Order: sequence, then structure tokens, then C-alpha cells
Amino acid sequence: MDSVAQRLSAVGAGAALELRGVTRLFGALAALTDVTMTVRPGERRAVLGSNGAGKTTLFNCITGDFPPSSGTIRFFGEDVTHFPPYERIRRGLRRTYQISALFPGLSVQDNVYLACRGVSRGRFSFLRPGQSDALMHAADGLVQAVHLAAVKDQRVAELAHGQQRQLEIALALAGAPRFVLFDEPAAGLSPTERQELIEILTSLPAHIGYIIIEHDMDVALRVVESVTMMHNGRIFKEGLPQEIQSDPEVQELYLGGGHE
Amino acid sequence: MSVTHDARVQVRPATAQRPTARAWPDINNPAAWIVAVILLIMPLIANGFFLIEIFATTLILGTIALSLMLLAGYGGMVSLMQLTIAGFAAYMVAVFGVSGNANISLGWPWWLAVPMALALATMFGTLGGALAVRTEGIYTIMITLAIGAAFYYFTNQNWAIFNGHTGINTVSTPHFWGVNWRADIPFYYIVLAVAALCYFAVEYVSRAPFGMALQGVRDNPRRMAALGFNVNAHRVAAYAVASFIAGLAGVLQVWNYRQISPGSVSVGACIDVLIIAVVGGITRPIGPYIGALVFVLLRTFALDFLIKIGLDGNRFRLLIGLGFLAIVFWSSDGVIGLWQRWRQSQRPAASRPGGGRGHG
Amino acid sequence: MTRFVERHPARALIVIIAIALALWLIFAVWPPGLEDAIGRKRVFLNAVFNGITLGGLYFLVASGFTLIFGLMRNVNLAHGSLYLFGGYVGYAISASTGSWILSFIIAFILTALVGVLLQVVVFRRMEGQDLRQTMVTIGLSIVFADLMLWACGADFYQIQTPNWLIGPIELPLITAIKSSGEPVYLRYPLVRLVIFAASVVIGVAMWLALNRTRMGMIIRAGVDDRDILAATGVRIQVVFVLVFALGAGLAGIAGVVGGTFQSLSPGEDIRFLLASLVVVIVGGMGSIPGAALGALIIGLAEQLGSVYIPTYAIVVTFLIMVLVLAVRPQGLLARR
Repeated sequence: MDSVAQRLSAVGAGAALELRGVTRLFGALAALTDVTMTVRPGERRAVLGSNGAGKTTLFNCITGDFPPSSGTIRFFGEDVTHFPPYERIRRGLRRTYQISALFPGLSVQDNVYLACRGVSRGRFSFLRPGQSDALMHAADGLVQAVHLAAVKDQRVAELAHGQQRQLEIALALAGAPRFVLFDEPAAGLSPTERQELIEILTSLPAHIGYIIIEHDMDVALRVVESVTMMHNGRIFKEGLPQEIQSDPEVQELYLGGGHE
Repeated sequence: MSVTHDARVQVRPATAQRPTARAWPDINNPAAWIVAVILLIMPLIANGFFLIEIFATTLILGTIALSLMLLAGYGGMVSLMQLTIAGFAAYMVAVFGVSGNANISLGWPWWLAVPMALALATMFGTLGGALAVRTEGIYTIMITLAIGAAFYYFTNQNWAIFNGHTGINTVSTPHFWGVNWRADIPFYYIVLAVAALCYFAVEYVSRAPFGMALQGVRDNPRRMAALGFNVNAHRVAAYAVASFIAGLAGVLQVWNYRQISPGSVSVGACIDVLIIAVVGGITRPIGPYIGALVFVLLRTFALDFLIKIGLDGNRFRLLIGLGFLAIVFWSSDGVIGLWQRWRQSQRPAASRPGGGRGHG
Repeated sequence: MTRFVERHPARALIVIIAIALALWLIFAVWPPGLEDAIGRKRVFLNAVFNGITLGGLYFLVASGFTLIFGLMRNVNLAHGSLYLFGGYVGYAISASTGSWILSFIIAFILTALVGVLLQVVVFRRMEGQDLRQTMVTIGLSIVFADLMLWACGADFYQIQTPNWLIGPIELPLITAIKSSGEPVYLRYPLVRLVIFAASVVIGVAMWLALNRTRMGMIIRAGVDDRDILAATGVRIQVVFVLVFALGAGLAGIAGVVGGTFQSLSPGEDIRFLLASLVVVIVGGMGSIPGAALGALIIGLAEQLGSVYIPTYAIVVTFLIMVLVLAVRPQGLLARR
């Protein structure tokens, strides 16, 4: 964690994530229009909005899965707008996917090991990891942190849905994350699993900020300190959770606009 | 989209347990030991014809198909240019080394010509791969087939280096330590050693970070990028490794036949490599060798067999084509898949399928 | 077009200059210095015409290939076999009835039937598994090749050009000026021009059918997004079968054309499969105008290459493909 602290101090007190006028077009359709937002290091924020509000597109632009059509994205002060995804990830950005994007042919342990390897050196190593391999230990730790130690040698294809969601989170926490984007981590989880998810999120080290997309207000508002409300690809409202929750416009939109 | 992936889902029973020890493969499998011993004492059993025409040829073809298995099975990239790369290495051995065409061959000793040929073949394959990875999925087949075909037509037309359609003949083979290494028995052992080396290397690397990342790229390239991997760099690196393996096999091939001509790199021959890998099973390194054995046996004995059952002996390719179609229709994991399914139907309580590879 | 000019003024300028230069080379009387440098104008014009007409043949083969790929994501590596099959059928019909036109009709119908059979019996069972489909087409091409070798042997066949098309025609293009001051006009085989015109007609008809008819709109929508097809309530299987029949039938027609231009023999299937691959890689997968442009480029490159740099003609074709892949991997006219 030393390196993270150093990198953080080197950047100073700037924003973790700074979007300026980010727009994303699919053909003639604007999935994201002129989005400008700033997130502090360590800040935890929820992005709310109905389906098609542009939340996942926002994530895809930030990570570079789809580059924005216009606008700039800065990550800890560095302009990453034209970086390929892997360069952003190596700088400490992480994400999870709404629909689990795992490696079904590999074991749980190997999935997490790959995630650890992706953000460290030796990605092209031809040597098998030994018993004392540091990354294997790191992977073990992560597997335990998301309560999957019991199934760590099983192939991912054989896991239950909830376990796959937890593995998604483990993959996003590998290495030294500085900022994480969680795309509906609670989707399809049972009430108990939701409780575990809340515990995992609230017990993250304080310097790790995140944005979480979550339809379940109860989950979202317990793990964040600020809220961004999106509608039709634009930012509609920003504020503290209480403000947003009690905002009459938001309530109307949410009740009228496909709250799940 | 991935055939290999379907295969795994079908073949592996739900209870399959991954061996936790990251040890050498098959170390506890008696069948593997028996095969190894038979291969080692083969010269005592088989005469020169069987030793070279069947077993050495199988191992060489199997190694070329192994390079395809590495790309297709681990990387999800079906390359039809693996034989072309082997053929390129073979040509380079003939061009840099000693041959009957003194005006073309540079006459280098084999220990210089072979590394040069391997380096150039690896470069050739890597460049081809770098082109192929600029597009995704099914385009790979088309682009690599086009590269293979272009090389074939080029060797036919070019006389300065490739000597046109006659090719390069009487390529010399190594003699040192007082041994003629092209004599049947020493050559068999060279081929066996190279094939074993390649086989175990591919097996080993499948559990190393490079190989695991390659399988990750196959399963979900977008997620791999979101984990910090440069997906295309990994793909190109896989082409480089596969090209080196194919190049090794190409060197053995030119020593085996002592000549190389466009006929050896024809489009049909390129496709044969795919057939070998698919028929054997493309999900694990042993598959290509099994496929190569089936192919070589068929090629050698189909004539007699077809005549014996009252058919035209020239219909070998028809037989190969139909066999290939049957495998593609009924087993997406080649004959290994068929064998495993048969074993499971025999022993429903079997705890673990054969083959014993470390993972899926 | 205007958008292209607006976006890439430099590239547009280069294209315009290249076209102007080509037109000048074709229509002007060459100054003596130029003839000394690159040879006689007649040779050049012949190569250009051979290239363009060969491009027409390549377009016939590749348009079927690209149509099938565009809609069904099926890389039909047995397309060359359909070409050769059509050629053999055409030869048999033309040899037995003496009718050249009839050979086209029968070749189209029979190869289209083979295409329908393939789609109904084979590919419908493995929809969406494009790699497996491709493997099947590889297996089929081997089987077809051997069956045709069995039936027709390894001989060369050439389809008889009908009498009314035999012989050259004089074109209003001056190749040289005689010392007497009398101009010499280009003489070129009529049959090749007629076939080229026919392939242009087929191409335009396909473009119109795709852009102006309801079925065409459905097919194009399906190329862009296959889910739309299902959503419109069209019986998608019928569309697939029709497209496969049309694509295969075009390959059959191309076989008759190829058998008239050149000759039919084992190995031609691979040659034309390769030509189709390169044409659609250059032009853009799934695009009919792309296939036309690609066919023209590859046909010209092959013919001009074989005249001016004979040893490296195949390399020129290949280099074009490499260049396109490096600069625009989706192909020149792909919509993506």
C-alpha cells in the first residue's frame, strides 16, 4: 500500500476522476451528453437513474471500453481520454461488470490470480507460479476477502450466481486499486448476500474511492456519501443522499420512470 | 463462438476436480508412462519404414498442429498459416544451409542455418499474427488462409530464392560426433526429443501466467483489458511462440524429406494441419499428436484399405474430408472427446476423465 | 461522397489525381518518351481491360461470398467449390446442348440448389457457431473437390464461346498513331466485354434489390443487427435460404464465366476462394459495393502486375491486402 500512498501524495489534492463534457454517440443516438463531474480521491458515490440513463455507458467511457466521442477524462490529474483500457487499469482504475464477465474455464483462484497478474509485472512470464509466489498469496487473500475460499479450486462455470458476483468484486480489487467502478454489484443477490456485499464495500480501505451503480436505494445509500442522478444520458442532479432522496423532481422521475 | 469452450462444457463432468498440485501432467497416469516407454524403445520394435514414415512423420506433423492447438485451444485464434511458417523455416534451412542448388544455397553450416531459419520463421509468423489480430474472431481464418495461399503462389513464381515450382533439392542434413543424424534411428530420436520438448513446453506454459492470460483472452478479451492486460500484445506473443514451434517442426521436415517445394506448402496442406488438430482434439496438447497419427495412418494405408473393400484407392481425400466432417458434427473435442465420452458411458461413476490435464 | 471529401481533403485529392492520371493514360495518345519508358500503349490497355474484366469475374464470385457472410456470419470456405461445380455443370450443358445461355441458367439453378441444401441440412443446425460452420465448410470443400476430381478427372475444360461472341471488337481507344498518321484502335475480345457488362448489370441489380425492395431492406437490416430481423416477424430461415441460394447461384454463374474466360480444372476452386477472400478483405466484409471495389482493385493489380512485374504479381495483390489490413482493418467500404 506504500506505493499507493506515494502516488497519491505525488498527485496532491487533485480530483481522482474529472470528466469534462464527455459525450458518447452510437450512430445518431447520444448515449451520453456533455457529462461533467468531479470525484475526490476516496470519495464514494452512487450513480442512479432508470434503464437507458447512460450509467453503464459512463463507466465504459471512464474505463475506455468505449472511448468517448468528445470530451476529456482525467484520472488523478492525468489525461487518460485516449488511453487504451489496460493503461488506465495499470494506473489504479478498476471496474466490475453488470453481467459477470469472468473466465468460466478457469478456477476461482486462477481468475483472481490473473487479475493480480494484470496489474503487476510478469504478464508474459513463461514460468509457473510456485508455492511462494507473492501474487498467489495476494490472490488467496482476495479470495478470502470475498468469502470464496471454500470454492477456490472450482471452475467459475460451476459457481452460483451470487458467488460469481462476489468474484467480480474480487477481480476489481486486485493489486493496488485507487478508484473502482461497481456496475450493479447487487443485481440478483439474495438479502443475505446483499448484507455481505455491504460489508465488503464498507470495509474497503478509506483511500479507495468508488462509484457504484445501484438500483436498490437501500443498498446504495448505505455505502455512499454522495449521489449523482442521471436521466437520458445527462446528469440530472448531484448532491448528498438525503437531498437526492427527498428531492421532489427525483422522486417523480424515479416513481414515474421505471424504478426497479 | 469458441468450439473449445463448448467442448469443455460438454466433456467435463460437473464433479471434475482440478488437481491442486501444479505438478507435471500425467505423472500419475500409467497409460502416459506406457506410451512414453513405447516411444523410447520404438526403434527396437519398428523397422525403418514405420519408424520414419509413420512415427517420425506423425511427430513432425503433430508438432506443427501443436502450434495451431496453442493458438486455437488456448488463444481462440484459428490460424491456417502454421504449415506455411513451418514451410518457410524449411525453405530457410535449405537457402542458408547446403543443398543441391548451389546457386541459391549459401552453404552455411547447419548450426548457423537452423537458428537463422528459426529466427526468420518466428519473425514471419509474428508479423502475420500482428496482421491477423487487427481483426477479430472468424476473420483470423480468412487472413491466415490468404497469407498461406499467397506464400504458396509466391514460392511457385519466385526463382531467385525459392527456385519456383521445382523447389530446393538434396538439402544436406547434419553429421557430427561421428553420427549421421539423418540415419533412421538417430533422426527418430531427434524428432522425438523436439516433439516431447514442444509438447511439455506447451503443457507447462498453459499454467504459467502467459498461458493463463492467453486463455483469459480467449474467454473474454474485454475483461482481460479491464484487468490491465494488453490483449493484442498477448495474441501477437502467442503467434510468436507458435511460430517458433512450427519453425522447429519445419526444420525437421526438411531434414526428413531432404527437399522442399511449393507442394509442401500448398493450401491443401495448410488445411490438413487444421484437420489434424481438430480431429485429434484442439483443447489439449496431446490432441494434435493423436490427430497426426490418425492422419498419417490413413494417408499411408487408405489406398490398400479402400481397394480391399472394393473402392477406388484414390479417394483418400474423400475419406479424410468425410472423417473430418463427422468429427466436427459429433465431437467438438476430436477423437479425445469421443474416447472420453465412451469411457464415461462405460463407467458412469468415473471420478475423473482421462487425459489428466491440469485444467479445462 | 461529399462527406468523405470534407473529412479527408488530402486523401480525396490523391484519389482525384490518381483517377485523372488513369483516365489520361487510357485516352491520350502516349508521347514517345512514355512508350520508351513503360512499353507500348496497347499492352497497357490490354492489361487494364483484362484487369477490369477479371475484376468483373471476381465480383461475381466474391459478391455471393460477402452476401452470405454479411447476413449469416458464415465464412463459406466451400464457395470456391460452388464456383468450380457451376463451371463443370456449365461445361456439360454447353457441350451437350450447344447453348451458352442455357448453361448459365442451369448452372445457376443447380448451384443454388446445392446452396439451399447446405443451408437447410447443415448450417441451420449450427446457427451462431461461426467457427464450427467454417470448419464444416472446410470439410465440405475437401469432399466436393475430391468428388469433382472423381467425376471430371484432372483434365482442363474450356466452355465454348458462342459464335456470335467470338472475335475481337474495335474500341474507340487509340493505341498508337501509324507513321501514315492513321490512328490504330484497340481490338478487344467481345465476349469479355459482354460478360463484364453482365456482371455490372448483376451488381447494380443486387444493389437495387438490396436498397429498393422490402426484402432487400430486411436483409440489410439483418446484416446490421440480426435481432431486428427476428423482431420484424420475418421468417428468418426463409431469408437465410434465399440469400444462400442467391450467393451460391452467383458462384455457379461465375464458374461458367471463368470456364469461358479461362479454363476449369482441379485447383481452380482454391484459386477463386482465395480471390474472394482477398477481395472481401480489401473491400469490406458483407458489403456489395465493397466487393465491387475490391474486385476491381485486385483484378487490375493482378493483370497490371503480371505485365509489368511478372515475378511479383502475387505479391502486389498480397501487399494490397496487408496495406488495407494495416490502415483500415474492417476493409475499404465496410460500414463499421
